[in-house]
Amino acid sequence: MSFEPKIVGFLCNWCSYAGADLAGTSRIHYPPNLRVIRVMCSARIDPTFVLMALAGGADGVLICGCHPGDCHYSEGNYKAMRRYPLLKQMLAQYGVEEARVRLEWVSASEGQRFADVVTDMTEKIHALGPSRIRAHLQLDKVER
Amino acid sequence: MAIRVNPKLIDELRKYGAEDVSMCYHCGNCSAVCPHSQEPYVFPRRSLRALQMGLESRMRTSIEPWLCYYCGQCSDQCPRDAEPGETMMSLRRWLISQYDVTGLGRYFYRSWKAELAAVLLVFVCTVAGLVLYGSSVGSIHVYDGPGAFLPSEAIHLFDFLLAGALVVFLGLNAGRMWWLTMIKDRKERAPLSLYVRRIHLLPLHFFSQMRYAKCGDTGPWLVHFCVVFGYVTMLVLIMGFLEAMQAGPEIRWSVHAFGYAASAALLVATLMMVRARLVKSGPQGHHTHTTDWMFLLLLVVLVVTGIVQHAVHRLGYETAANVAYVVHLSIVVTWFSRYPFTKWSHIIYRPLAMYFAEVRREVSGTHARQSAAPVAGPQLQGHAA
Amino acid sequence: MAEPRIGVYICNCGTNIAKVVNCDKICDSVSKLPGVAVARTYKYMCSNPGQDMIVQDVKQLDLDRVVVVACSPRMHERTFRKALRSAGLNEYLLEMANIREQCSWVHDDEFAATNKAEALTRAAVRRVAYHEPLERLSADMCPNTLVLGGGIAGLTAALEMADAGHKVFLVERDDHLGGNLARVDLTAPYLDSARDLLTERITRARESKNVQVMLGSALKNLSGFVGNFVATIGPAGSEGRTEQETSVDVGAVVVCTGYKEFDASRITYFGYGKLPNVITSFEFERMLRAGRIETKEGKTPQYVAIVHCVGSRSQEFHGYCSRVCCMTALKYAHEIKSALPDSYVSDLYIDMHAFGKGHEDFYKQSSEAKTLFLMYGKNEHPVIKRAAPEDGCEMLIEVVEKLSGEAIEIPADMVILMVGMEARADADRVARLVNISQDKEGWFIESHPKLDPVATTTEGIFIAGTCAFPKDIPDTVAQARAAAARILGKIAREKIEIDAVFAEVNEDLCSGCRMCNELCPYSAVEFDSEKRRSRVNSALCKACGGCVAACPSSAIKARHFTDQQIAAQIEGVLL
Repeated sequence: MSFEPKIVGFLCNWCSYAGADLAGTSRIHYPPNLRVIRVMCSARIDPTFVLMALAGGADGVLICGCHPGDCHYSEGNYKAMRRYPLLKQMLAQYGVEEARVRLEWVSASEGQRFADVVTDMTEKIHALGPSRIRAHLQLDKVER
Repeated sequence: MAIRVNPKLIDELRKYGAEDVSMCYHCGNCSAVCPHSQEPYVFPRRSLRALQMGLESRMRTSIEPWLCYYCGQCSDQCPRDAEPGETMMSLRRWLISQYDVTGLGRYFYRSWKAELAAVLLVFVCTVAGLVLYGSSVGSIHVYDGPGAFLPSEAIHLFDFLLAGALVVFLGLNAGRMWWLTMIKDRKERAPLSLYVRRIHLLPLHFFSQMRYAKCGDTGPWLVHFCVVFGYVTMLVLIMGFLEAMQAGPEIRWSVHAFGYAASAALLVATLMMVRARLVKSGPQGHHTHTTDWMFLLLLVVLVVTGIVQHAVHRLGYETAANVAYVVHLSIVVTWFSRYPFTKWSHIIYRPLAMYFAEVRREVSGTHARQSAAPVAGPQLQGHAA
Repeated sequence: MAEPRIGVYICNCGTNIAKVVNCDKICDSVSKLPGVAVARTYKYMCSNPGQDMIVQDVKQLDLDRVVVVACSPRMHERTFRKALRSAGLNEYLLEMANIREQCSWVHDDEFAATNKAEALTRAAVRRVAYHEPLERLSADMCPNTLVLGGGIAGLTAALEMADAGHKVFLVERDDHLGGNLARVDLTAPYLDSARDLLTERITRARESKNVQVMLGSALKNLSGFVGNFVATIGPAGSEGRTEQETSVDVGAVVVCTGYKEFDASRITYFGYGKLPNVITSFEFERMLRAGRIETKEGKTPQYVAIVHCVGSRSQEFHGYCSRVCCMTALKYAHEIKSALPDSYVSDLYIDMHAFGKGHEDFYKQSSEAKTLFLMYGKNEHPVIKRAAPEDGCEMLIEVVEKLSGEAIEIPADMVILMVGMEARADADRVARLVNISQDKEGWFIESHPKLDPVATTTEGIFIAGTCAFPKDIPDTVAQARAAAARILGKIAREKIEIDAVFAEVNEDLCSGCRMCNELCPYSAVEFDSEKRRSRVNSALCKACGGCVAACPSSAIKARHFTDQQIAAQIEGVLL
């Protein structure tokens, strides 16, 4: 059976979640591998959530927020931006590939961009194969 | 090469009747509804545009004003009351003054006082001249035969001289029209053979005015046709059969028949035209330039004096007949002398315009076809795949 | 914790969801999950019968949690929260899963889409078990209002509030009131005097005991939340904070900071700045107010040309239309013809935007006054050059004119450039101070362009007039009055409801490290120096969660977005 990545997405309510909704209203298609969890602001995203997701068997984690300067809570996305490099460094040390965890800025009017980001990320993770943690947990029991 | 806009020209054209052209905002409804407007002559919008912008050279070399017969549908459709119909009429007036080689026409169009003065001057001079001449060769109490006040041979000669002068001036003006519409600013010139092949259009349109009938309502064409028929018949009779007409009461019936029919048609049609302008009926009725009045009134007076003169002559009152004759002849001279400078010259410009428009259309059509034709390339012979 | 009794409702949304997602299959598998008391599908959950279904089940099946699997919560969270309320359940005991905008509408593989929808449903079911009932708090609504900007918008808003009997602080950067309108002579299309329009308002504002006019002043800081703002106002132009500042309490802010005009020297082919008689619309207004139309050399111009869309409707500068210039240009044509009847006025436009009341008639009047209208194409702009002495004019304008199809030269002794509107250079500073956003052209963004044009995403901050986008006086005044009406509505209700979602510090877990104190953009986290613990002011907190994620002790709880709830969701989507 072919590998279908499972990607967890943390989207901020004001920009990226609205952008994802816009992709929906515009009927812009993208791969069905992303599962979205809504938060109010990308600042809410504790790096622990990312680790939880990976430990739970996610092949990738997408963090989306408003473009810098446009945060609904003025500086929330800057906090996310500051936490991210440290997180990535740590993940690299754990052997988690670069392409698996991604921070993207998507505005409420960028439905197409959201679809493009998800498509790109899905393709890249598809090429990487299942995360070693997932493979270890043998979670692929879905049958057609 | 950019063409200069002249915002002042519109002030000039206002005197020719183009008062409302500034209202036009180029919606194009007029060109859409015009029954005569079709490629390559689409009007009246573009003509109004050239006028608004004062593009004199474009206006002077255009032929579109002559393709318009003032059915008035454009003015009815115009959402801004810009009077495109009357504007085209004012362009015709302006073109007449432009084609005039003497340059006198523009004075008569711009000032009714100048026109009236010229009319009166010519009339008075002619009366004086005729009276002097008549008195020197005969007696005012003798109409015909020896001692006649105005012998028909002399008048006949006089008529031909007048006609000759007229033909010269009209010819010059026609030449100027040809140069402006067919040569100046034109990308391609028509070959002589094309002119020859289409020459039949001239007499066709002159005698039938058939384009006028295609306006939608044939009424105006009919009235105008009567005027033309009456007029041309009278011209032929006078130029060719003057002695027969001027002879004593024993005039041949055939001459009478034509003459009466012609006069009746002329009089009725002309009076109908006057009435239309008085009660403001029909598209042309709403706008009457002073030159339009002068034209119609002179024509009416011409016909009436001619009829009076004939009636008095037939009734045998020789002195009165001579007096009437002097008046009539003076009106004739006044009328004909104004030909090249005024509205009357449309008698040649209209048929010429039909002719030239067709020649021009064929030339640019051929030219367009030639430039659009694909170049036949060399055939590829048996190229191995 | 006792096992919850969760009702799961899966919407078909007609065929919007059902065409791609197998709702029955999800219903089937979800009903077997622990805690799920009932699972149903229905064609339109948001309809009255759909909502009634929830209400009935809550009452009859004694449900204490509800999951609605349907469209985006941004669409119908409010609807279903209301349904829970009418069932007697706290509205925060609801969770929605988005299987329409983010599933059925963007995927075509039924198997994959149904799998994803099932995962999202499971996540919602797991999460909702950890939801707690939350109560809204309320605060007083301060009846004072802060109006930023003393132009026509600011004056109108201020007077509207003052006439209703409430205090207004009218803060104006300049040393006089009136804004851009004070630089104008007459207004199109009825040719009223701008001075008359303004003088009446300025006088009333100065004389009103409810309006405190603060000239030469600017907003330095704004803290608080709707109904309870503290505005610090100081001298304009001074950087940083000084002693001459005053702090005032206000309940709402109306931003009326206006626009600035486009700098015509940015366009080289118009020769502004090089050719002396090429001027801008505002420079012409100065001439009109002085009562003399003449060239720089003091001569009366015979040919005047007006060029529309300078800096507007252009790919190079601004793509938008500045809305007022077409009618203003016609106003100039009228005024020039009145003052100089022998002059010739040419008006070069791309389109004639005569959209408003009296505009078409005004356009017609301009034609009646024999204005020559010349149309040019958006990408074929006119070029203005100096004329030769034999041309009989100062300048020649070359353009391809579309109504005639000719390339023409227009004589001009004076050219008036209709410069467009731009966002002010300090607009970003204002936006940051009051916490509103700007679009890519710098105009302030409204809550919804059609349905909510004067509110912003920040409650209590309103925008009115040209600071939000170019508009004319009627629309500006309408917006100013609309903003005032909204504020009056809030004042009438006397209390402001504060959202129940905010952050809370568990003082037992807090170590007093104070890392959270500096992180809050709303200064909502205070430090209790006696207890040596941090505390969140629930009224100020906007629930962004920045402090929550940062706390090394996990001592701050984000109500309705707790770590437990999110962890449950993560688990649910990955099963």
